[in-house]
Amino acid sequence: MAELTLAGSYTVRRIAAALIVVIGVAAATFLLLHAIPGDPARQVLGLHASAQAIAALRHRWGLDSSLGSQFVRYIGDLVTLKLGDSFVYDLPVTTLIAQRIGETAALVALATVFAVTITLPLAAIAASHRDRVADHAARAVSVVGLGMPSFWLGIVLIEVFALRLRLLPVGGVGSGFLGGLEALLLPSLTAALAIVPLLVRSLRVGMLDVLGADFVAAERASGLGELRVLVWHVARNALIPTLTLLGLNIAFLIGSTVIVENVFALNGLGSLLVSSISSRDFPMVQAITLVLAVSVVAINLATDLAAARLDPRVRLR
Amino acid sequence: MSIEPDHRLTRRRLLRQGALGSAFLAAGPLLGSAPARAAVARASTAITKGGTLTFARSVAPTQLDPANSIIAGDVYTLDKIFEPLFITSPAGELTPWLAESYTQSSDHLTWTFNLRPGVKFSDGSALDAADVVFSLKREAANVDGPLGFLDSAIKTVKASGSNQVVIKLAEPWAPFLSDISVFANAIIPANFGGRSEKAFFAKPVGTGPFVLDGFTPDSNLTLLPNPHYWQPGKPYVDRVQFNYVADDNQRVLQIQSGAADIIDAVPPANVASLKGVSGVTVELFPAWEVDLLVLNEALPYFADRHVRRAITHAINREALVSATSFGTAKPGGSFFPPSLQYYDPNTPVLSYSLAAAKAELAQSKYPNGFATKLLISGGVEKWSEFAQIIQQSLAPLNIKVTIDSLDHAAFESTFQAYNYDMFIDYAINDISDPDEMASFEVDYKGSGVKSYWSSYNNPAAIALVHEAQKEFDSAKRADLYAQIQAIVSADAPYVPLDYPPYIYATGAKVHGFAVNPGGAYRLENVWLS
Repeated sequence: MAELTLAGSYTVRRIAAALIVVIGVAAATFLLLHAIPGDPARQVLGLHASAQAIAALRHRWGLDSSLGSQFVRYIGDLVTLKLGDSFVYDLPVTTLIAQRIGETAALVALATVFAVTITLPLAAIAASHRDRVADHAARAVSVVGLGMPSFWLGIVLIEVFALRLRLLPVGGVGSGFLGGLEALLLPSLTAALAIVPLLVRSLRVGMLDVLGADFVAAERASGLGELRVLVWHVARNALIPTLTLLGLNIAFLIGSTVIVENVFALNGLGSLLVSSISSRDFPMVQAITLVLAVSVVAINLATDLAAARLDPRVRLR
Repeated sequence: MSIEPDHRLTRRRLLRQGALGSAFLAAGPLLGSAPARAAVARASTAITKGGTLTFARSVAPTQLDPANSIIAGDVYTLDKIFEPLFITSPAGELTPWLAESYTQSSDHLTWTFNLRPGVKFSDGSALDAADVVFSLKREAANVDGPLGFLDSAIKTVKASGSNQVVIKLAEPWAPFLSDISVFANAIIPANFGGRSEKAFFAKPVGTGPFVLDGFTPDSNLTLLPNPHYWQPGKPYVDRVQFNYVADDNQRVLQIQSGAADIIDAVPPANVASLKGVSGVTVELFPAWEVDLLVLNEALPYFADRHVRRAITHAINREALVSATSFGTAKPGGSFFPPSLQYYDPNTPVLSYSLAAAKAELAQSKYPNGFATKLLISGGVEKWSEFAQIIQQSLAPLNIKVTIDSLDHAAFESTFQAYNYDMFIDYAINDISDPDEMASFEVDYKGSGVKSYWSSYNNPAAIALVHEAQKEFDSAKRADLYAQIQAIVSADAPYVPLDYPPYIYATGAKVHGFAVNPGGAYRLENVWLS
């Protein structure tokens, strides 16, 4: 009973903190958007627009009222889940986001799969060959991703796999499930390679800690094979810190979709965010930022709660 | 002078490239106007029909209502679906389109248009005068729309029978034919064919060669042939796939790999290497476009004509172009680009000469120079290269330039609030008549923006601009515009830096592609081998 309460209050605290973060992001986005110069009406109407035409459009959008009252209205709409209509497209932002979110979600999901499948063997090799050539090589290889910005790494991958080897499309959205998957391989690999080095290092350290533990020595002494010890017992124990780190890095992954989508012409949420910022489409930028913030917070929350479930000690922290 | 059609804004632009655009569509061989050079070169084989044309563009459509459009992604999409009475050919000439012929009264106030017989909308209904009246009245009443000002001369629009439209003007207006050829004056069915405005533009019906198939705003769009198109046998392709590819590099990769058949806005730096790719052709099309260094005459030092002339003399435009455009652009002279009607190649230009620059500055009230700021739109390599070259060019005059770089939307609102010292921007003509550029850059009051935000105000030049608007004799208009170009060149309210072209790359199987100087391309003449 006592443990249940403890777990329950931990969950409640984490959810409350997540909500505060989301509201903070929403408020900061609103204020930053309104603080930077640039008039959405001018962007929509062009250079020839008369002052009257611009004033009329600003009035229609409610941009002529005070910043305070706009902010109050925005927060009020947010609480009632009204995200409004895009200035540029004159359509509900939810409709536009719904058209795009699948592409970005698929990119992030596939990148996560790549990140994990690349990280696990590299970290295991590095940990089991500590300070030997294989260890240095595994870490060196992974660092390549850290040193190269995504836009550059993306171009290199396109050059090799799409242009020279002609194995994969250079960019764009594929048609059908398989075509879509094929078109996502290079972008998700690009995004994944940016976080692999951190994951490898963290998992390697976690594994080394566990490898030094008494129970591992006991298992080895009992005659269990090295591979079985490593995969079955060591990796599982080292997974918790890596899980947390992965959760944090998915936030980074979601942020990097803005660049990766642009490099590969994927037209997901990230590219819509960039064009919406350029045109000062306030409702669109606010809504996308909110969706991204909620995703990041939700993933972090989920990994925290999962870690707490895997390791009760976490709840006490 | 709207926004940039395609080139360079890009990465940003992601930019919403602002707008752009012109209205004009390129005329096809049908009317005997000059087809594109490429078309001539390649059209030795017989035309084959069918296939999907995949076109990767730096711009994306957001909506398709001609009355609400100004950004390139909208304009260069809706002009495949809707057509105006006249279009502009790739050679820059006005060409009768939905109107077959016209007459004007001797006082130039009454214009009668005879519609082309046999034209149908994509739903099979016939085009008649009521549709034209509805469409032109709608745009003329659209005074708060992006290009509503172009129709300000129109007093009444009436049908005369089913095949004739009579337009009365409030005053003689020489640019009138050009004005009604703008995409904003494209013809739609009367009363939206009985549907609501919103429903109509979600599934639009026009007389153009293509109909809308599928559409994700700000992303990809598919067109299919209009089965009722009035030019027999056209369009040639079965399908047009417009893909939104904002990134310059990705577009170049798509043409190299064959993923795209045509790409727009090829970065000048990539032109040479793309020319070396087998099967890829790079084409430069002259544009009604000039890049300007604008000087704010509301500031005392730029109000001094000698200072402006000194700055113009100090900038080596030949060197600037060769350092930045990789041979694609032409150095600036007149504020009219060479592709524009009534451009005068003999305009006296304040050519590059440091000695002349120093002599001018010595005569000014600021012989020892001053410190000033140069505002540019950030994230566009070309503008920052221009800015650095200008900064170095003015250093010998002891004019110390600080470069301020803002993102495009912030950049625009800053210079449009007259809150700048100098800024660099492109100026575009949307129509085939030079009145738009002349008015917008010279007519202090008439422009509504103090002569392209420069505060340049020369009553003699303004009087000539007004005179040219009412002059119907083309030799006399040429003379008036030559005088205007000479006066502006001598006053130097802004420095015409260069004339950039539109740069496209096409794959080996593409034939018949051409772009007019307003940046518009018609696709009914394109075929794939």
